[in-house]
This record gives sequence, C-alpha cells and structure tokens, in this order.
Amino acid sequence: MAITLPRWPLVGRRAELEIFEKALCSGEHMGLLLHGPAGVGKTRLADECREWAAASGHPTEHVTGSQTTALLPLGAIVALLAAGLGQPGPDGQVNTVALFEETRRALHQRHHGRRVVTVADDVALLDAASLALLGYLAAQGTIFLIATVRTGDPAPDLLTGLWRDGRMERVDLEDLSRTQLDTLLHLALGGPIEAGAGREFWEVTMGNPLYVHELVLGALGSGALVERSGVWHLEDRRPATSRLLDLVGQRIGGLSAEARSVVELLALCQPLELGYLETAAPFGVLESLERAGLVTIAVADGEVRLAHPLHGEVIRAAMPRLRARAILLAEAERLETSYPAHGPAALRIAVWRLDAGGRPDPAVLVRGAYLARDAQDFRLVRRLIEAVPDEQLDAAEALLLGEALYELGVFEDAERVLALGQGLPSSEHVALRLAVTRSKNANWGLCQPETALAINAEARAIVTDQPLVEQLVAEEASILMFSGHPDRALAVLERITGHDQRTRVVRAIVGAVALAATGRTADAMTAAEAGFADHTALGDELAIAHPATHIINQVFALTEAGRLAEAERLARAGAEIVASHRVPIAQIWFAANLGRVATLQGRVATARRYYAEAAGLAQVNRFGGPRRLALSGLALAHALLGETDAAAQELAERTTVPAFGFLGPEQQLADAWTAIVSRRPRDAAQRFRSAAAQAASTGHRITESWLLHDLMRTSGEDTSARLRELAETCDSPLVAARARHAMAARARDARALSDAAGDFEALGAMLLAAEAASGAAEAFSRAGDRRAATAALRRASALGAACEGAVTPGLVREAAVPLSGREREIAMLAAEGMTSKDIAERLYLSVRTVDNHLQHAYAKLGVSNRAELARVLGNGT
Amino acid sequence: MTPEQIALVQSSFARLGPELPTLATRFYQELFGRDPALRALFTTDLAVQKVRFAEKLTEIVRAMPRLGELLGHTRALGARHAGYGVRAVDYRTVGDALLAALAAVLGDTFDAPTREAWAIAYNLMAETMLEGAASARPIGSQ
Repeated sequence: MAITLPRWPLVGRRAELEIFEKALCSGEHMGLLLHGPAGVGKTRLADECREWAAASGHPTEHVTGSQTTALLPLGAIVALLAAGLGQPGPDGQVNTVALFEETRRALHQRHHGRRVVTVADDVALLDAASLALLGYLAAQGTIFLIATVRTGDPAPDLLTGLWRDGRMERVDLEDLSRTQLDTLLHLALGGPIEAGAGREFWEVTMGNPLYVHELVLGALGSGALVERSGVWHLEDRRPATSRLLDLVGQRIGGLSAEARSVVELLALCQPLELGYLETAAPFGVLESLERAGLVTIAVADGEVRLAHPLHGEVIRAAMPRLRARAILLAEAERLETSYPAHGPAALRIAVWRLDAGGRPDPAVLVRGAYLARDAQDFRLVRRLIEAVPDEQLDAAEALLLGEALYELGVFEDAERVLALGQGLPSSEHVALRLAVTRSKNANWGLCQPETALAINAEARAIVTDQPLVEQLVAEEASILMFSGHPDRALAVLERITGHDQRTRVVRAIVGAVALAATGRTADAMTAAEAGFADHTALGDELAIAHPATHIINQVFALTEAGRLAEAERLARAGAEIVASHRVPIAQIWFAANLGRVATLQGRVATARRYYAEAAGLAQVNRFGGPRRLALSGLALAHALLGETDAAAQELAERTTVPAFGFLGPEQQLADAWTAIVSRRPRDAAQRFRSAAAQAASTGHRITESWLLHDLMRTSGEDTSARLRELAETCDSPLVAARARHAMAARARDARALSDAAGDFEALGAMLLAAEAASGAAEAFSRAGDRRAATAALRRASALGAACEGAVTPGLVREAAVPLSGREREIAMLAAEGMTSKDIAERLYLSVRTVDNHLQHAYAKLGVSNRAELARVLGNGT
Repeated sequence: MTPEQIALVQSSFARLGPELPTLATRFYQELFGRDPALRALFTTDLAVQKVRFAEKLTEIVRAMPRLGELLGHTRALGARHAGYGVRAVDYRTVGDALLAALAAVLGDTFDAPTREAWAIAYNLMAETMLEGAASARPIGSQ
C-alpha cells in the first residue's frame, strides 16, 4: 500500500538511462559504474534504472555501503545473503568460496535464474568481502551491478578493472546546466517561475540536483516559495546557505519529534519494512516524510529507506551517541526475538551491536573475521577478533589475530598473541601455522632471527606429520637465508626429501636466492623458473609469499650473473604488474633490485631514485628489513654521486631500523663508500675488508667479489688472488671480469686493462668500464704510448658520461686531458666549426701555426677530423 | 520557464504566420544536414510529415502556459517517437535543427532573449517527451 505522490522529476539523465538499458540487455556487461560528485543524482539514477528493470521483469535489490555496515564483512549486503555467513568448518573457519557459491545458487533459485539488478550505493565504503561477493555474483551473471562512487572516493580496483576490460559500463554524471535546471523547476513546481527566483536557484545550487531538491522542498515547506496567479515567487529572500550539508541539516532540524524519530531509526538501521514503521510511527508521519522527499518507499518490496545517503550522514552526525546506542540495541533485540539466530538477520544484529559499542555474538564476529581475512582486510580482522573477549579465544582465532597483527606491522602484539595461541590446545595444522607465523614475525617483523630459529626448532620437536615437518624445515632455511646465511640455508634445504608441491614452492623461494648469492647463478635461475611454474599451478589459499617472489629471485640471479640488461627488463615488467595489483612487499623488492642493477650499471642517479622509492614504500608498509636494505643502497648511491652529507644522513636514518641480516655484507658497501667520499680512506678499506670476511664466512661469494673489487678500486690494494678464486667457484661473468680487472691492475698491463674495460662494457657495467679504461690510459701513458693513452682516456670519458654524474676516485678528471692552453683554445674554435683561416684571423696567428696546433691536439686526443674533435670536446674532455 | 519566456515563445511563433510551412521545410533540411542517418527513421512521405510537424508544434506552443496540457501532448508524442527508434541523443540534434530553422525564418527578430526562451522551451518539451518514451519503450528480453 504505497502512498502515491507525484515524483520529483528526473531531468537530463535520459541518455544515461539508455546506456543502462543497453548494458543490461546486451548481455555483454556485468554492471554499470555511476560516478559523480555528492548530490549529482547517482542514487536517483540508480533507482530509475532499478525501476525500469523491475518493470521489465527483473528482480532487484538495493544495498548501501557505509562506515557502519563496514563494521562486519558482508554486513552491507545482508539482503543478498541467503543463509547469513554460513556454517563454520573445522577449526572454526569459513569457506569463502563455498559461501559465495551457496549465495549464488540461492539467488539463482529464488529468482528462477533471472539476473537480479542490484544497486550498490557508495561502493567505496563497502568492506572488501562485500565487494568480492558482488564482483563474483556479477561475473557469474547472477546479478547486474549498478555501483555508485562519489567523486573523491577511491573507486574499488575490482570495478575499475572490470570497466577497463570493457565488462562494465561507466557513466560520469555532472551537475545540470542552467537550461536543465529551468526545466527541472518548471516540472517540479508545475508551472512558470518568476525570473529573479529562477536566477537565485541557479546561483545558489549551480545545478546540483540534490541541492535543488533540498532547497525547493525546504522553501515549499516553509512557505517561502508561493504560487500567485500561476507563477511561482520566492517571498523570503533570506540568503540560502551555500553548503549542501548545512541545508540538509536545516531541513532535518525543522522536523517534528515523531518524524525525527523515524529518520533517525532509518539512518541507523535502514532499510526497514513499511509494515513495521507504520506501527512504530503515528499516522501521517511517513506520508509527510515522503512528501518532503526525505524517505522513499519501494513499491515492489515495501522497504523504506532515506531518500539519499547524505541525509543519513547528516542525521547520524547530529545524533547524540547515547541515543544512537539505545536505538541500535532496541532494534537488535526486536530482530532477535522475531528471526532465527543463524539467518541473515544475525548479521544485521551483529552490525548494530558493534555500532552501539556493544558485544555481539562472538561466533558471528569470528566468522566475519575469516571472511575479512580471505578478502585480505587485516584491519577488519583485527577489529573483529579484538571484540571477542580474550578468554574466549581459541588457538585458531589467536592465529587469525596474530597473522593480522603481523600483516599490519604490529609485531610486538603479534608475538604476544601468537605465543598465547601456542599455549592453547589445537590441531597439528593450526599448531604448525602458529609456529610458522610466529617465527616469520620474529624474523621479518622483530628482526630477531635467533628467536625465529628457536621457535622453529621447538615446533619441529612437537609436530609429527611428515609434510608439516618439511614445511618447518623449509621455513628454517628461509630464516637462515634472510638472516644472512645462504650457505647454511642450502645445507638445510638438503634435508627436505618430500616432493609435495607446496614444499617445492617454498624451497624454490629460498633456494633461488641462496644459490645465486653463493655463486650458482644458473642453478638459481632454474630454481626460480621452476618455483614460479609450481606456484602458479598451486593456485590455492596458501599463505606463502606472492608468486612474483620467483620473478624477483630471477632478477636477483640475473644481476648476480652480470646479465644486467636482462635483469633490468624483467624487473621493470614485474614492477609494473605488482604495482597494478598493489602488492607492496613485491613492489619494494622490485624497486630495490632495480636500484641494485642500476648501481652495477653505473647509472647512479637512477639507482638513487629506485632505492629512494623502495625505502619509501618499505617505510609506509612497515617492512623494517627491506627498508634497511634500501637505505643502505640509497646511501651507496649518494656516495657514488659525491653527495657526502646525504649519504651520511641515510646512514644515520638506517640506525633507526633494526639490523637485518639479509645481504648483510652488501649493506656495508654504503658505509665503506661513505667513508671514501668523506675522505676517510683507511676506514673505508677497513670496512671493505671486514665485510668481505663476513661474506666469505657466510657463503656470499658474489658479494665478496664486489667488496674486494671495490677495495682494489678505491685503495689500489691487491685483492686479485682471492678474486681469482671466487671467479673459479662462481659461474658469473661479472665476478670473472672483476678478477681480470684486478689482475690487470696489479700487473699495470695497459692492454689487459683495456680488455677489462671491454668486459665491463659488454656487461653494461659502465662505471667499472670507465675506471678500467682510465687505468689503461694511465698505463699507456707510463709506457710512453701517448696516442694509445689519449684514445683510452677518450674512451674512459665516453663511458663515464653514461654514469649520471658518478664521481669515484678511479674516474678520469677534466685536468687529465693533456692539451696546452693554446691547443685547447684553437681546438675549441675548430670544434665550433671555424676554418683555420678564421681562427688565424681571430687569434692574430698564421694559418700554418693554427694547423700545427690543431695537429698536436688531434694526436693527443686520438682523433683525425673536426667532427670527432667536436664530439670529444663536447663530451667535456 | 518564466512567464516572460513563455510569452516570447508564443509571440515569436505567432509572427511566423504563413511562414510556418517554410519553418517545417527548413527544419527537416537542418535535421538531415546534421545527421543524414535520421532520415531512415521517417517512413511517411516527407510532405505529410511536415504538415504534422507544424500542427504538433502549434499545439505545443499553445499549451505552453499550462503544464498539464503540455504534458498531455509531449508525453504521447514521445511515446510514439520511441516506437520509431528515436534515442535520447537524437533529441539534441533535433533541438539544434529547430533553433537553426527558427533563426533562418525569423531573421533579426530572433534575438538572444527569444533564442534563450526557445532553448528552454525545447528542453522542457524534450525532457517530457523522453519521459513519455521511457514509460512506453518496449521492454528488452533478458
């Protein structure tokens, strides 16, 4: 028994409605995204779409995102849930996939296979699980989704992705034009309006439809807008407020006490059944609210809700907390007495109790937490489980909370909760996951590898199931690898005998890095490729690292193998993918690896940029260890650029992050190079030596070669013997090139140094190539081969030009170019394109003298014509 | 609309007098010039179509001051046009063609205020025709 009133007219939205009709009927689209500023008419257009769909035989639903409904996963979309949150499985878990499928099947049956046109208002405020379910139902063709997003709110990735793939239509709504506003007023008032009043409405609302709606209905209600002889006049010219929210507030403020109770009830608990509201409110109140455009009553199902989400926001903001609490608890009780405990109503009750700050049924909270976890919404998991009294938590729930705390970077609390969980009775599976999560938290979160190893050993003593034991062994290897012990990690991996796929994946993650670090780069590459294949084939819920980890490991292995260009290409491709999927830890590792590659390439400013990005991301996402690595890389890049203060600053910043063993020796490159640019060469040499010794004792062979080579580069100390040994035990051409360079430098062999420059250049290591060429020039010069020396110098300069402003001691300096003042003067003019005759005239010299000087300059610079001369001088020699 | 605008629309329309058929001819020229594809939507003889156009426009302009009466005409007209396959975007083309035809036939007397009044009047017609069209549109299958 709906009350019939003339509806507020819809103006300027017909083309958009046609887009909807076409999208719904074509069968190619899963939904429609409505985007636009507050009050532009998204909700109204969505309602029109819904009505059209209902008239053409579609079942329809309406859900609304809000801060309240987001208190519990799926709380916003109770209307679509057939059986609430479903029955919990073993260990109290909720099977999200099964729940989604059950929901789909129930909707399909209830509506005989017809697509349910579902309006989801303010999807940006939906919880992740609700969004996932809506996306699933839309993809399955069970619903046609009409989602509204307010300008300024982030549109959920899921929906923008579907839109980009052409599976969802999108409409961007704008405010009305002046002409459209005139039409709207004419239709709403039913006749012409006096010119001044029309202008006033335009100037105040600027065509925002909700604003017009509020203003017109407010003015009609207050008697400010009156009809005289068929024309509407604005009697009361009090300046209208220019803020929409204030205006809504004024309208709500003017309601009678009875009407106010109804809108407050709706703001907290909508939608409500018409039948119930008619008994709860005095006769006529609902009708007056509908006439005032504050509530809408759906004809199809008799559900009453506020006309606009903004009304709800304003009412809630103005409501005293205690009053809201009383209403919510009363409604929760009403529903509890009239509905079964496990149906969808249980979810609404729980949301209301949470909103009231009360204690809902812990079983509902826990089931909600599992859903939130599957949707990767760890903040919500934490909030829900923390609402369960501590003494009621079981081991599985402690695991759920501990994992969420770890993911949120609250490592001390995670340790406490996980330790508590280990003290509770549990299945072996839960016990294992508690141990693995706790040791992971200790290693990566608290940066305490010894504690992590102790937790792991303790668990291995208790767990008996063989596959689970192997997982613990793989975890032990992981702790060792990422606390700086690749050799020990490899030894532990040997203990794994099983061939179960999950264990193979974990083994590949650890093994690839360990193999690369110890100098077996080819094996590392194979392991990473196999790991990726296994991992993508697994495709289940397992909580191990992201599959991109294997790509990161390939990048690392390629870098260690000196295949720098390939490493860079792969890392850039990977970084793009994980950025679009928002996997922060993978983004950090890709950026850090790109920084590493750039450092080795001698592109030091690029390295600085990537390391800064990695450090920033790590800070935002609270990854202490990776942040420490990135800060080390950043300091190194600054030092290579001669930015002494900045390098020292990053090192100081690094002391605020706990120590992190992974690539520990490599991190010390930053300390040594900062000492170099701070003119403390003895400290630097000492640091290179001690870090190399640490690398040697832990199996970081490739890092050891880096450190020893840098020691040679900066101090001239002969490290060639050890570098040669390393070259023999590693399969990396980069390590081999370092050894050859060191041997050539030791022998002061100009040809061999030239060859070393060629080796480095072929690998793309331009800074090292430039330094080797510079060394060759010096050796040639010493041997009296001036022409060869000049050619080598020129090469060194050209190579150095690719190094983005690097200033290492081994690089060529401007002063090294051996032109006399006159030679340089003449050469510069010749390089500008002047003829010898012009130069002679300008400098008051004979042409013959000019030519003589030029010939000398050509010889010294190793060039034979003016074009080459220009290029050499243009390069800053 | 303001009462003044309604008066402007009616007085300028009255000035057309015997030139009304010229307006109709000019309107279809402007329309098909803007979108030749629209021609396919007209199955009746164009001469008959022009007469109908002039009659309908006369009725609508006369009804302009009384919204109820106006809606009676425009909603029915819109419903009929939906059956011909006219979409919301076509209404903009029609509006442009109508204003251009009026400007051509009325000459200098079609000044800025008159033009604005017609633009608003047309928007009102178009919106209400579209409303009629929406309630009459054949419902697509699943």
